[in-house]
Amino acid sequence: MSRRVSAGVLIAERTALVAIVGVFLVPVAWLISTAYKPGRDIFSIPPTFFFTPTLANFRGVFRYFDLFHLVESSLVISLSSAALSLLIGVPAGYALARARTRWAIGVAYFFLAVRTVPPVATLLPFYLMMRDIGLLGTWWAVILLGTTLNTAFVVWMMFSYFRSLPKEMEEASLTDGCTLFGSFRRVALPLVKPGMVASALLCIMFAWNDFLYSAFLTRAESTPISVALLTAYGTKDITWGTLGALSHFSTIPIVLIALVLNRYFVQGLTRGVN
Amino acid sequence: MALAQADRVLDGGRTSRPAVVARGDGGLTYRRKRQVFLILLGAPALVYVLLVAIWPLARGVNYSFYDYSLLRPARTAFVGLDNYRELWTNDAARSSILTTATFTLAAVTVEFLAGLGLARLHWRDSLFQRVCLALLLIPVTVTPVVVGLVFRALLAADYGFVGYYLSEWGLSNPRGLLGDPHSALPTLVVVDAWQWTPLMALILLAGLKSLPTDILEAAEADGATPFQRFRIIVLPMLLPAVFLALVLRTMDAFRVFDIIYSTTNGGPADATDVLMIYAVKQGLEFFNIGFASAIANLMMVCIAIFSVGFIVLVRRADKRANER
Repeated sequence: MSRRVSAGVLIAERTALVAIVGVFLVPVAWLISTAYKPGRDIFSIPPTFFFTPTLANFRGVFRYFDLFHLVESSLVISLSSAALSLLIGVPAGYALARARTRWAIGVAYFFLAVRTVPPVATLLPFYLMMRDIGLLGTWWAVILLGTTLNTAFVVWMMFSYFRSLPKEMEEASLTDGCTLFGSFRRVALPLVKPGMVASALLCIMFAWNDFLYSAFLTRAESTPISVALLTAYGTKDITWGTLGALSHFSTIPIVLIALVLNRYFVQGLTRGVN
Repeated sequence: MALAQADRVLDGGRTSRPAVVARGDGGLTYRRKRQVFLILLGAPALVYVLLVAIWPLARGVNYSFYDYSLLRPARTAFVGLDNYRELWTNDAARSSILTTATFTLAAVTVEFLAGLGLARLHWRDSLFQRVCLALLLIPVTVTPVVVGLVFRALLAADYGFVGYYLSEWGLSNPRGLLGDPHSALPTLVVVDAWQWTPLMALILLAGLKSLPTDILEAAEADGATPFQRFRIIVLPMLLPAVFLALVLRTMDAFRVFDIIYSTTNGGPADATDVLMIYAVKQGLEFFNIGFASAIANLMMVCIAIFSVGFIVLVRRADKRANER
């Protein structure tokens, strides 16, 4: 909205916004700065605002954690889950959007309902099933279960994207001799690229930030960063500085992706308003 | 997401029929082919979800009728609805239900009001506002467990950046805001609001931006006061965004786990023992699978009732909007 307003109102609005953004960023700024604080400054009473930055905490991360392995676990889990969800979710979203039966809407709602199930309801029986077939403690267990939520999300999201796409182009491609699959792949898919980027982004974020599934379905050798962070908390030798440094690797990748691909991120989060 | 939209899709969408169908006798086989093709595209996702989500859910429903503990699996016995009865008779379970309801209601209210204010501040579309919005969305992306840990450190009464001064000035007791049964839950509401108010604001802002400016300007020219403009034009047209924001946040707040697990883990004195925490403790720490399944199923029923109520509300609001 661009209406003429007095300079006073504008200044008041901007000051308020800057203050609010500042308040919202304090915890993040604290987290980042803690990683560069020497140990004595973290626990000093009263808290200190000024300190000489150090990289000692990052050395601590490498000393106490197998950082490479933690990042690898987080990456494998989130990327596999996102890839699998898109692979089966996008075609399903298309099928539901183009099907001409009453069923389609029902099935779409079914996927939405799956997305709202409390995670503990699937986790308990799934935990026992994985134990019985010997997959407990592997990446597979987390990926398989996490992908159900992500697939449901992708189906619903892509369903709404394909719905808002005019059918005429696909029909034209069919009369031009395109196969059914060809009209899906070469006509419809390229048009919903923004939707797929947004879906992929959010799937990666959900899986990367997930804690509950990973905490109970992985073991020490397959654990992602989110779980390592919490189990390390309160352990002897591990200081807040080390945790702050380790949090860098868990938080900054997603924050960066969200900032760089902000348009898609916002699109994914607000889908359904317009 | 996008319940409101699906509902609108329900009415439209089926109106256009492609010309290809009217191809004489070849049409039927074409339709058949198309049908099979769409089923093949949709089947993998459906089969996957049925196998990996619905099958476990069904087993969970089954477990909830048994006295089933992993610590003594040999004594498993069918107990009918006993586990559900215990949800009501057990004090811890009852207080957990109440805690969850309180947390959800408080968090969603705070986030909605703050989110509406934030959205209003971002309404003017300038570079300044866009940068602020991008920065505000950072909390949404931070790993929830990390959020919990950060606030735990910030609020610690002995060395916390915030907690130290709160305790020094007598605003919290020596154990800190999270260590006091009276202040722990409200504090967690604030933590949740820190992370999710920006999302609420984002959705409401998308609603605000879809408002037709010409109508607003016409109303202003006709001498409508800001309050009248808000009540008569903005509010009714904002309803879909409001509903979406409320339903998304309600469901997530109802299922809150990470930030509580990483701060108070249900304590102190069970003051923050929400249903998710309670169910995970019962199931995966004490291995009472039967009772834990009953808690999980209770949560599912609550969410189902809430969703149906929400869909009914949206339908009614939509109908009223159409009549006008």
